[in-house]
Amino acid sequence: MPIGNVQPSVRPAQAGRTDGAVARSSVRRGGARSRRTGGGVWSERLAPLVLVAPAVLIIVVLRLYPLLLGVNFSFTGDGARNGMAVGLDNYRELFEDPLFRTALGNVGLLVLLLPVAVAIPGLLATFIYLRVPGHRLYRGVYFFPAVLSPVIVGAIFNLLLAFDGPLNAVLGSVGVSPVDWLGDPDLAMFIVVGVHIWATFGMALVVFLAGFATLDSALLDAARVDGASLPQVIWHVIIPSLTRTIQFVFVTTMIGMLTSMFGLLFVMTSGGPEGSTYLPEYYIWIQQGQMNRPALASAASTVLFVIMLVVGLLQINLLRRAGKEA
Amino acid sequence: MVWDWKSGEASAAPYIDRAKADFAKKHPDVTVEFVAQPFDQYYTLLGAAIQSGKGPDVILFNGGGQIRDRVDALAPLDEYLAEDKQRLAGWDAFTKDGRIYAGPVTLQGHPIYYNKALYESAGLDPASPATTWSEFVADCAAIARAGAKCFALGNKEGVGIQFWLSSLASGVLTAQEYDDWIAGKRDWSSPNVKRVFQLWQEAGEAGLNNDGANSTAMFNDSFALFQSGKAAHVIGLMSDVGHWKDFNEFLTADKLGVMDAPVVTAGTTPSLPYDGGIGYGVARWTKDPKVAADLVRSLTSTDALKAFYAEAGAIAADTTIDVSQGGPAVATIVSEIKGGKPALHVALSSKTLDLMGRLSQQLLGGSVTVDEVVKQLAASDQAG
Repeated sequence: MPIGNVQPSVRPAQAGRTDGAVARSSVRRGGARSRRTGGGVWSERLAPLVLVAPAVLIIVVLRLYPLLLGVNFSFTGDGARNGMAVGLDNYRELFEDPLFRTALGNVGLLVLLLPVAVAIPGLLATFIYLRVPGHRLYRGVYFFPAVLSPVIVGAIFNLLLAFDGPLNAVLGSVGVSPVDWLGDPDLAMFIVVGVHIWATFGMALVVFLAGFATLDSALLDAARVDGASLPQVIWHVIIPSLTRTIQFVFVTTMIGMLTSMFGLLFVMTSGGPEGSTYLPEYYIWIQQGQMNRPALASAASTVLFVIMLVVGLLQINLLRRAGKEA
Repeated sequence: MVWDWKSGEASAAPYIDRAKADFAKKHPDVTVEFVAQPFDQYYTLLGAAIQSGKGPDVILFNGGGQIRDRVDALAPLDEYLAEDKQRLAGWDAFTKDGRIYAGPVTLQGHPIYYNKALYESAGLDPASPATTWSEFVADCAAIARAGAKCFALGNKEGVGIQFWLSSLASGVLTAQEYDDWIAGKRDWSSPNVKRVFQLWQEAGEAGLNNDGANSTAMFNDSFALFQSGKAAHVIGLMSDVGHWKDFNEFLTADKLGVMDAPVVTAGTTPSLPYDGGIGYGVARWTKDPKVAADLVRSLTSTDALKAFYAEAGAIAADTTIDVSQGGPAVATIVSEIKGGKPALHVALSSKTLDLMGRLSQQLLGGSVTVDEVVKQLAASDQAG
């Protein structure tokens, strides 16, 4: 009975009437319940089950069942051993394959680069919020790459970063020798991640701006009056106020990095040079599509699924704890 | 039903039409449906069809590893295609363990194209390109002085090394080694095999290739370098893309030459490396393999292939087609088909090719030695 609790404090004069209405409605409800005994209780209990059934069925039939089939398939062989149970052979082969280990290592690299991917939109959103000159223009410009498809983005950066491309030409004009951005195995992964961040930070920026909308400007003014510098304002006022937004962006950025780099990799590096930019997704695609090893690809998919599950659970845990703190 | 990645292209339409007409004469009651799949997903989709055991009756394949890895899903066609064996070339790429699994449509090979205009400006005779490796390197130095690179190389996908291996090997490996390689007896530790990879490494170190070869896509950035006159040679293809017809458009037919592989090991005779490029096979699950095989025969009939050659610029598997209108480069290629041999890389499994691609990038980057490369490739080759 929430109405009874809120209203009186605001409008004490109507308190009595409100309470009366609540009392009457509860009486009516009690009466209805007494009339609907037996079958009524059953239908009331069944109703939620019937209502969730379509969703549950879709998840079970179209998600969980294929998932189980896939896991099951990963324990069978390829080629001549098609359909035969081979136990853990596929998994053994996976972890002996240096290429798959590189792919897993790159997942680790993505996790390490995550703070950068979150800090960039966070900082830029701060500047927009603090109304740097031209902030209206930047707000639009920053979001622009987010509407481009990864294939287009990849193609654009392929041109820009080509050995005889414009970036190296600019470097050359200031006396820096050209760099093979996408042909150097130590560099390529960072470049692709950088382009991915460039292409997707617009979304995170919007989320940050939404977070800023809830920020209490009185706190900022107070900090300014006290003579806080910009870094101090960011560190002591903005970051603590936006903890939940930051955590949300962390989660969504992580998911984005783990699941939607394929297009960029495909266009920009094809997993190369020297296999240095493989990610599990790309590995799965190569094994299934190019090497005709569907069972091995299933095993790799299962490993990727487990990784995503662990990362996802960790993040849910983190969010829940953050929720309690706030 | 037919699956391919060609029938959707405008340039292949006359070819498909003629093949359909030919087939309709033989089987008026059977309707044929062509379903064009996007090529980048072709083998992924096909893999799914093979897993489920149903799908198209007639399937287009690339020769070599792509079809050999999937023969479990195909019906042998030896008895149906026997009459075409003489007329068509390129059967080896569609054969596994002595049985034929597809009828060849085009031939695919790796001639070395060169730009005669660049030869002239470098003071070289465009009519007589180098025949030995040392002459070739000397010519490259002259070309470098004229401001162009020697090779247009795109090794981003790791395909550059495949072309390199196949196109130069006939001047490096002895005839015996070459035939053994194709027959499956590959001696990776032989000095001549190592020499092929050493040449690759040396060409990279000596700056014969365009800069940034590991980040240059072969399709079509490296071909664009050649077409725009920034590099004097390119190891190209015979059919589909990166071939004489494309190059003719940019360099004009009389400025485009095709040369034999320079001789590296004395006593070797260079030959054109080629195989069946694409071909149609018949699925194991098809109801009437005879009818399906007849469709394959229609798709490889002289009339249909002539249309394919003329419109799409492919070197058709049918060697009786007259190509004199196409310019000197294509005439050279066709004249060398008789003496040609299967390309070395086509004999390797997809897995070994993938590994070779990555190792070749390491060789160019300088992070691996030739000995290590042949060791790893030997291990992969023996396992697969």
